[in-house]
Amino acid sequence: MANPSSLAASLSPEASPDLVKRAELSEIDASTKAPAIFLLGSSVLWLLLGTVFALIASFKMHSPNFLGDYEWLTFGRIRTAHLNAVVYGWSVNASFAVAIWLMARLARGVLRHTGLLFTATVFWNLGVTIGIAGILLGDSTSIEWLEFPPYATPLLFVAYALIGAWAIITFRFGKSNHIYVSQWYILAALFWFPWLYSVAQIMMIFSPARGTVQSLVNWWFAHNVLGLWFTPIGLAAVYYFLPKVLGKPIHSYYLSVLGFWSLAIFYNWAGVHHLIGGPVPVWVQSAGIAASFMMVVPVVVTAINHHMTMVGSFGALKTSPTLRFIVFGAVSYTLASLQGSSMALRSWNEVTHFTHYTVGHSHLGMYAFFTMVMFGAIYYILPRILLKEWPSAPLISVHFWTTAVGVIFYVVAISVGGLKQGFEMNNADIPFIETVKNTIIYLELRSYAGVLMTVGHIAFAVNFTWMLAKRRKAGATAPTLFRTGPEIELEASAR
Amino acid sequence: MNRAPLIFLGIFFALAFSWTGIVLVNQISYGDLTPVYDENDGIAYPQALPGIAQQGRLVYQDLGCVYCHTQQVRRPGFGADIERGWGERQSVARDYIREPRVFLGSMRTGPDLRNVGTRYVDTPTSKAGSEWHHRHLYDPQITSPGSNMPPFKFLYETRKIVGEPSVNAITHLLPEQYQPEAGYEVVPTKRAESLVAYLLSLKDTYAYPETNNVYVEPAPEETKAAGQKEESK
Amino acid sequence: MSQQPPENKQSMEQAGASDESIQKVHSILLREKPEPSEGYKPMPLFLLGFISTMIFICSIYLVHYRGGFDPLVYDERFDPAKAAGAGGPVELTPEQIVAMGKKLYNTCATCHQPNGQGLPGVYPPLAGSEWVLENDQRLIRVLLDGLNGPIEVKGNTYNGAMPAFGAAGYKWNDEKIAAVLTYIRQEWGNAAEPITAAHVKEIREVDNRTKPWTAEELAAFE
Repeated sequence: MANPSSLAASLSPEASPDLVKRAELSEIDASTKAPAIFLLGSSVLWLLLGTVFALIASFKMHSPNFLGDYEWLTFGRIRTAHLNAVVYGWSVNASFAVAIWLMARLARGVLRHTGLLFTATVFWNLGVTIGIAGILLGDSTSIEWLEFPPYATPLLFVAYALIGAWAIITFRFGKSNHIYVSQWYILAALFWFPWLYSVAQIMMIFSPARGTVQSLVNWWFAHNVLGLWFTPIGLAAVYYFLPKVLGKPIHSYYLSVLGFWSLAIFYNWAGVHHLIGGPVPVWVQSAGIAASFMMVVPVVVTAINHHMTMVGSFGALKTSPTLRFIVFGAVSYTLASLQGSSMALRSWNEVTHFTHYTVGHSHLGMYAFFTMVMFGAIYYILPRILLKEWPSAPLISVHFWTTAVGVIFYVVAISVGGLKQGFEMNNADIPFIETVKNTIIYLELRSYAGVLMTVGHIAFAVNFTWMLAKRRKAGATAPTLFRTGPEIELEASAR
Repeated sequence: MNRAPLIFLGIFFALAFSWTGIVLVNQISYGDLTPVYDENDGIAYPQALPGIAQQGRLVYQDLGCVYCHTQQVRRPGFGADIERGWGERQSVARDYIREPRVFLGSMRTGPDLRNVGTRYVDTPTSKAGSEWHHRHLYDPQITSPGSNMPPFKFLYETRKIVGEPSVNAITHLLPEQYQPEAGYEVVPTKRAESLVAYLLSLKDTYAYPETNNVYVEPAPEETKAAGQKEESK
Repeated sequence: MSQQPPENKQSMEQAGASDESIQKVHSILLREKPEPSEGYKPMPLFLLGFISTMIFICSIYLVHYRGGFDPLVYDERFDPAKAAGAGGPVELTPEQIVAMGKKLYNTCATCHQPNGQGLPGVYPPLAGSEWVLENDQRLIRVLLDGLNGPIEVKGNTYNGAMPAFGAAGYKWNDEKIAAVLTYIRQEWGNAAEPITAAHVKEIREVDNRTKPWTAEELAAFE
């Protein structure tokens, strides 16, 4: 500990232990700069591209002749391109950046050899680009969540291995001797993902299993990408930023432990609920349903833990952009998970399975929870890496309100339409074509919601680019907040 | 730091648990299902798809049909799959063992296609099945007004008639507003032909031993009692 | 934990490199609140009860719907241990026959439409059609063997191909053909006599035909 303190002493004559820690953090942040900026920049680009794909697909659902003469834009391809662009482009890039930054800070380890890490992130984006081009050109595998053609995957795998190894090395050689709850989630996610991905690649593409064993592998993978990669990364971010912005400890360590391990045990069995009523052994379906229902436990535990941390500090939501996005995401996580558990129950699944209701659910999870949490994290991380403030508070405000209102509008519209579709589909007296026609109005409403969310994404991208381009100001700067309140972060320095 | 190995072990066993239970156990218990040989018919079921249908399967894959059409029939009493005429019985794992890639699907924007080959049939005397598919693929509005399925006109070629009109042309199947200008004809590409062949081949009509593994309603008076119980819930 | 002197040395060099940037590091980093820590509030007791209840319910569910843990069971209500043979064939009531016809009509609805109106100029209507309502001999023959060429229905002429549903086509049995015909004769305001399987069987045996009819040939049947 001698070195950092002398370092701090050289900066400021009245150095305190707190100041030493902050000087150390600034070094750690600086070390993550190159890969994090590249990852975040490309994630924003993929977000925009994925949004364009989404809009095209959404318009096609109610106006099938829209761009109908282009084979590469046909619904089956553009919808797939949308999913892969927002999952492997936007979400994974953003989660890499957030995971690396969180891991470096929490482990108190400076990232080293960032050149190689940087190359890995370039590889990852190259792989995603090749994969999406392949899908649009007709090389999709048509396996849900694994559509990238086989020639794109080795690149992704190498890139992933390097990035994952980096985070683990940072953890191993960091100076911290306490493992914070966010680190459990990140470590677990980093370890689980390559296992899932390699098993799925081998058993579905390189040496396919026979018959519906494929389907089991497919959903074991696809649901676990959500449950064992995006959920842990999202929760790690919530567990970090909630106490960080509020400046108080997480409510209970015991609840954190319970929430983590119950998620780890139950979530990975839940994927079979995508096959209820299908041609896979019924005992696996029942096990999947039981596990999905058991997911109520980690969700309730985590929700209590987060809520009790927030209690008494809701006023801070008025000022802090990060907090507002993170809390919106955390609440959505609870809602999406409880909804998911209910959808696994056979009697309800009979209605909701195969309908737009499922699409609403997946957007509640991947967008209202995960994407919103990532937005919040980026609003916090970027100023610390670039040492600049966000250029425009109104743009952040536009971003928050359009995406928050947009996604709520989206989920409500598509869920109502999906339920109608489900009930009508199970009534053989209604001709199938009528059930299709009756959903069109809801699909149109969904498109409007999508336009609203697009506005938010553009506001975010403008603010992001502006921030990269603007000059760094000398001297002390004030944070970009929604409004100046008594709770602003500056006060923390007085401690 | 000293608890890291413990955490790692826990993380490992958590996923190992479901990997064993969902992937390994099922691969071992039914990953080697074989076709059933029927001595009366002299055929092993499920039958392999004809070559052109195999190519059509790849067209089905690259166009992403699976994102709107399932290929699985749920059991009687669970949804209305059977009542809608999507199949005579529930789909079972053996139905799929000849398929290099299984397209169960998870979305029914359009109807289930597992037995679409029993709904549109070509017979020695009529091509009604493939004619319907060609009309429908060219533009779904022709056969199913109000549908939100995209048109697949790009699988058809409008070309000038040179000499005799092509025997494969579907021009005569199209309503007036879809007719090309005089001297031109609409001809399905190889991909359209193979996709239609694939759709015509989709049918699970054979009853395997395990298709009888279904719950049989108890005797009538018990059914009545159970029905009343359901209602009172 | 200061076993990495090279790293510290490196970072000191970095720190020394640009004094200006360190000034700004402080402006953003100094206002940050401390790194997160954990509180140690005890777990609420009700949570333990809640979790035990959940585990109990889910275990019961899994055991109840295990399907004998048999990989070839796809119906959760089926218990291989209790499985017994199913009953023999049953006589259907008229309502059941119409219901069966309605189900079978899904195949017809793709051309003749669910409302029986057909598609103008492409597929003829069934609702109010003289071919459906009037002569049952012609109707059964159309379905059994199909129909090719021009046909006049309700004053409009259609020129298409109706596939055979008998031996030369879909291979439907007499019961299915009778059921679907009975259905279309009694739906959409149609009100004609039901058609029996025996009648279908009779005509099938008399004709023993393998090619589709034309409207002209059918006119011969009174």
